Amino acid sequence: MTGPIHAALSIRGIEKDFGPIRAVAGVSLDIPHGQICGLTGPNGSGKSTLFDCTTGLQAPTSGQVFAGGLNITGWEMHRIVRDARVIRSFQKTVVFRAMTVEENLVLAGQMVGFPGVPATFGIGPRSRERTRRLRTQAGALLELVGLSHMRHVRAGQTSFGQQKLLQFASMLMPEPKVILLDEPMAGVNPVLIERMMENVRAANRESGITFVVVEHNLDALQALCDRLVVLSRGQVIADGVPAEVVRNPQVVEAYLAG
Amino acid sequence: MLMDVAINGITAGSVYGLVAVGMALIFGVLRAINFAHGEYYMLGTFASWWGIETLAFPYALSIPAAVVVVAAIAFAVGLLVMKRLIDAPFQVGVVATLGVSLVLQNLVIMIFGGTYKMFEGGWIEPVEIGETFVSKQRIMIVLAALLIFGGLDLMVRLTRFGKTVRAVSQNFEACTVVGVDVPRVVVGTFVLGCALAALSGVLTAPVVVSLYGGMGTAITVKTFAIIVMGGVGSTTGTLLAAWLLGLTESIVASYLGLQYRDAVAFTALIGVLTFLPGGLFSRRERF
Amino acid sequence: MDGALDNRLRLGGFVLLLVALLFAPLVAGPYELHALVVSLTFLLPALGLNLILGYAGMLSFAQIAFFGIGAYTSALMAMHWGTPFWLNLCAGGLMAGAVAVPLGVPALRLRSYSFVMCTLGFAVIAQTVSKNWVSVTRGDLGLSGVPRPRIALWSGGYEVSGPVPYYYLALFIAVLAVLLFAALVTSAAGRYFVAIRENETLAASVGTPTWLYRIIAFALSAVFAGVGGSFYVHYYTVISPTIFEPYYANTLLIIVLGGGIGTIGGVVVGSFLFVALSELLRVAPDIRMIAYGVMLVVIVFACPEGLLPLMLRRLTRRTQRPYVSGSP
Repeated sequence: MTGPIHAALSIRGIEKDFGPIRAVAGVSLDIPHGQICGLTGPNGSGKSTLFDCTTGLQAPTSGQVFAGGLNITGWEMHRIVRDARVIRSFQKTVVFRAMTVEENLVLAGQMVGFPGVPATFGIGPRSRERTRRLRTQAGALLELVGLSHMRHVRAGQTSFGQQKLLQFASMLMPEPKVILLDEPMAGVNPVLIERMMENVRAANRESGITFVVVEHNLDALQALCDRLVVLSRGQVIADGVPAEVVRNPQVVEAYLAG
Repeated sequence: MLMDVAINGITAGSVYGLVAVGMALIFGVLRAINFAHGEYYMLGTFASWWGIETLAFPYALSIPAAVVVVAAIAFAVGLLVMKRLIDAPFQVGVVATLGVSLVLQNLVIMIFGGTYKMFEGGWIEPVEIGETFVSKQRIMIVLAALLIFGGLDLMVRLTRFGKTVRAVSQNFEACTVVGVDVPRVVVGTFVLGCALAALSGVLTAPVVVSLYGGMGTAITVKTFAIIVMGGVGSTTGTLLAAWLLGLTESIVASYLGLQYRDAVAFTALIGVLTFLPGGLFSRRERF
Repeated sequence: MDGALDNRLRLGGFVLLLVALLFAPLVAGPYELHALVVSLTFLLPALGLNLILGYAGMLSFAQIAFFGIGAYTSALMAMHWGTPFWLNLCAGGLMAGAVAVPLGVPALRLRSYSFVMCTLGFAVIAQTVSKNWVSVTRGDLGLSGVPRPRIALWSGGYEVSGPVPYYYLALFIAVLAVLLFAALVTSAAGRYFVAIRENETLAASVGTPTWLYRIIAFALSAVFAGVGGSFYVHYYTVISPTIFEPYYANTLLIIVLGGGIGTIGGVVVGSFLFVALSELLRVAPDIRMIAYGVMLVVIVFACPEGLLPLMLRRLTRRTQRPYVSGSP
């Protein structure tokens, strides 16, 4: 078993209580660099809560999270994003609707392109150059996801599918190490699902980004992931090769019962 | 002397409490702060004053008359403005009710002039209590507050309207699904809240004596301070917080100076918001 | 493309306006110039309000308090130490910003409605302080006989007096403020402000230190207001606690909301439209407030983005298209 220092993301004994309700009942996972790991489970299994505890949206009741050796437990979300390069997506609110597609991307890359507060105010050298570099990077990513023609359109005026693609491109801007996707296939048509999966594979292949995908769509997870983890009632009940995990009798029972 | 301070404090607190419970009701169903709330208090005083000065009403008659007039105004505002605030972002509510307060305040100034009006009327004959004299009006105010608070508490718990108001306060979307006429409940609650403010105004007018169009502004912020201190959804808490504010103001006014009286509420507000976000009595909803 | 035409219209409009303003003293008399100066003065705190409300998404009633703080600071410096104008201006802005930080740190942790009330409370406290700290502010009497602006590096220099020199000074400061504001909102920090306004959680998820930037936005808007207040006191040469009256705060709100929230041109237009026009027409304050009140209600329901964006949309005849073709 890989220790915290070697894993891209290491979850150790995470528990999360909401008053009397125990949403996550002791989960430990090590996700090695470069893996595409799926995380699934029936409704109420605690996968969303686990997700939130790992990415700083909520603080776990107990347990620890490490990212590339850094102890990120209890860190605020923006610090996890900046210092550990662990980026997460959201299921419903996906982009900044008032900004253009390009501005969304430039914004997502600012933490790398404009380190430190004074730089963001234009104080210090080369701020125009920094913006130009971010714009170029944005352009390249737009090419990648096929949204170049929407560059100057307000994100709020694009379709939901396009917003999901934009969101994905945004997550690639700040040189991420780990990307956590929160139900990326929800509400998306099959053609786009295929496209998104290809984007994930390409990013994983070419930049070595580790992926954790929380999803309900078992077919997509089987096709995409190297490894599948199943949660039920706040605990891991299966963890392994997707094709085997989905046939695991415990998993079947969890889905039928829950 | 101490007795006087205490009586003044309880009286003022009762007034604030009546106004505050109105604002709390409105906040409950709309999740919006009624920035014009103090104006309905002011309108209550002016309506009563006008009834006495121009129509030669006896004070007792001016009470229900003023409440009815203000309720009518509130009804109009409720239909035109407050109804549209259902499910609106809170900043819309702030700006809209601010606009209403500007209109109401300045209409009064325009129609009646900007000078102070002297209120003549009310039961100001003093009654002896212990070593000091208290005007009957002040006793009326405290009694009225207690009665109304008790009545409201019963209403909210036992009557159908009360239950509907509670339901809308908790989840108005669910209410719409179930078939509750949310706009009607909202307007009705709004009228009730403003009527309480107006009643409070009429009862206080004999004690305050000098009325002016802008007198509602301080009331609005003090009322908000009370709601924050008392905690949302707690009638007892609101009344206790109101009395606490009234007493503190009275003490400050007597021993530090009258000019600092209005600052007490603001300081208390900032203090509570900074250190006790749940209010003094209720640990429930964080403000 | 729509965006480009829109930008060209705005830029063109600005240039035209600037030229018109530069040559205004040739056609305008002292009274008209006074109206313009007043609207240019209130442009600064309005820009501040636009920053905190339109760009960072937080409604604040404290702007007028910072305006007053800047005014009193500047007045006291000029009266007691005879410092040159640029120093007073900076001091006014910095003092306002310095006060904003300890206020903002606890206040910005609150939910929206509590924050609004807190800022309102602060405005009232500022008024109470100015009324009661008699040794410094002379209470209700206020400060009078504030020296005219002295344009110099340290000593000597040129004293501004007369409607035309004051007008050009106001114009100079206003243009500088607008340019600075434009640079600010188009910078990387400006993008962070908009992100915070749109969706704070989403902003955090792209690495925005949201709390820090909210404080910065609050402090910066205070600085704008403070500088505006400094100029105000040197123009009127008197300052009293009446500056903290809600009348002025409401004026700022109508400028921003009516003119065009979240835009630069909108606030400029709003300032001229609502302030200069009211001055020129000599509208009585209570009628003005009733008009403002009605306008606020109408605007917030019917035209929430303000007049300028509405006008621009009519001009470019842009229609809202929910989906652009070529989607997957």
